[in-house]
Amino acid sequence: MKKLTIIRTFILGLLLLTAVVANAQQEKVQAAYAFLEKNKLDSAKANIDAAVIHLETINDAQAWLVRGYVYKAIYSTREKGNKRSPARLEGLYSYKKSLSLDSGKEYFTDNIGGVKYFANTFHNDAAESLDPIDYRTAIELFNKSQECAKIVDPSPASLQANQTEFDFALVSVYNGVLENDTKDSALVFKFFTLAKNIYNKILAIDPNNIQANIGMGKLYYNQAVNNIKLSDYVDITVIDDLQEVTRKLGIEAEPFMKTAYTLDPKREDAIIGLTGIYYILNDQTKYNIFKQKLEDIKKPK
Amino acid sequence: MKKILFILLSFLLFTSSVAVKPDAAEEANAKIKAIYIYNFTKYIEWPDNYKEGNFVIGFLGSNFPLLTKLSEMAETKKVGSQTIQIKNITSVDNADRFNIIYILTDNSTQLSEVISKVKGKSTLIVTDKPGLAKQGSGINFVIVENKQKIELNKSNIEKYKLKIASTLVNMALPVN
Repeated sequence: MKKLTIIRTFILGLLLLTAVVANAQQEKVQAAYAFLEKNKLDSAKANIDAAVIHLETINDAQAWLVRGYVYKAIYSTREKGNKRSPARLEGLYSYKKSLSLDSGKEYFTDNIGGVKYFANTFHNDAAESLDPIDYRTAIELFNKSQECAKIVDPSPASLQANQTEFDFALVSVYNGVLENDTKDSALVFKFFTLAKNIYNKILAIDPNNIQANIGMGKLYYNQAVNNIKLSDYVDITVIDDLQEVTRKLGIEAEPFMKTAYTLDPKREDAIIGLTGIYYILNDQTKYNIFKQKLEDIKKPK
Repeated sequence: MKKILFILLSFLLFTSSVAVKPDAAEEANAKIKAIYIYNFTKYIEWPDNYKEGNFVIGFLGSNFPLLTKLSEMAETKKVGSQTIQIKNITSVDNADRFNIIYILTDNSTQLSEVISKVKGKSTLIVTDKPGLAKQGSGINFVIVENKQKIELNKSNIEKYKLKIASTLVNMALPVN
């Protein structure tokens, strides 16, 4: 009898302890939130990090939401400007975790708000990294922004619109390098290929994208021209080879520019592009036709 | 939670249109002609009295990209020890001692005047219109299969006491 009483007491004690510990974990979540409100971020972080690894609150959507808040605050006060901010990644992870646990969608709006905030910061950091040195970082950050955007608004049209806008910005960085008339053939090849791949990607989705058609046409045309402009005074025995490279690039350029012109015959840059292409191809008849069209659209009405 | 005002940067702000430079095609085609002309100086030999002083290339007509490219060539290249000088010929009467006279397309009608002016001299006449190699020019630029090529009339060159290397002859389209 005495033995049974001891066992009962032990079980009761264990249950009470569990309840106390569970309550303690909930208290940690509450404490973290209170510290956050007072902007005591280190204390908020210590409490919430302890809470989310404890068995009682590891699957608590509210705890993960609070963790998202805390890391968002750490990011915005201490790590903004750091494109590789660990707090931002932790914050995003926390909001995503909370969303996955929140079956009743009790915290949905708050979590989505947090994800949206991080999407915007990734987006802006990507935009600020758009230069010939940091472009890889820009791509990485933009992909993170798209990962967030997919959670906020998973409609493919919206995501694709973002992607296309970014791709055009990125390709203008690549074109900027090529426009510097560099003689570094490895650099030219690298950025030419990068730019070509982007235009191909856009055109695979939308073959009638006028901007991409003009962009691709210009890309080939400018290379055709630079091939000769930047060449040395080569020997007569290789002049033909030099011209052959340019001819092939000009022939590659033509269909893209022609597509753009067909889609919008009043588009001035398409007409300018075709004028240049026919000139470099030494096609005097077609050059004259497009030169005339250019003069016609430039005439005051 | 405190609301944060956020301004989303548009990628369109970072998008710049790549310029199509129509003049660039003219520059490129002019460069090809400059390369050819530089090669003429390598593969044609002038008599000794034309190897003194400057190597003078006369330019009859108006073509700014070509004049620019020839001037660039003159600044960076030499013919043996001779400095290359590019002269714009305003009147055929002034076509005195030139190593090369280049008659541009629009001035092709002046070919016969030039021929009579350089008679007995050692001037290579270069033209830029189909058929002119048969009418007295030594080398004539033509377009074949989208490329700039040259026609070479050997007798029209040799009668001015100029020697042509076989490499140049082989690279040119023959004119009978």
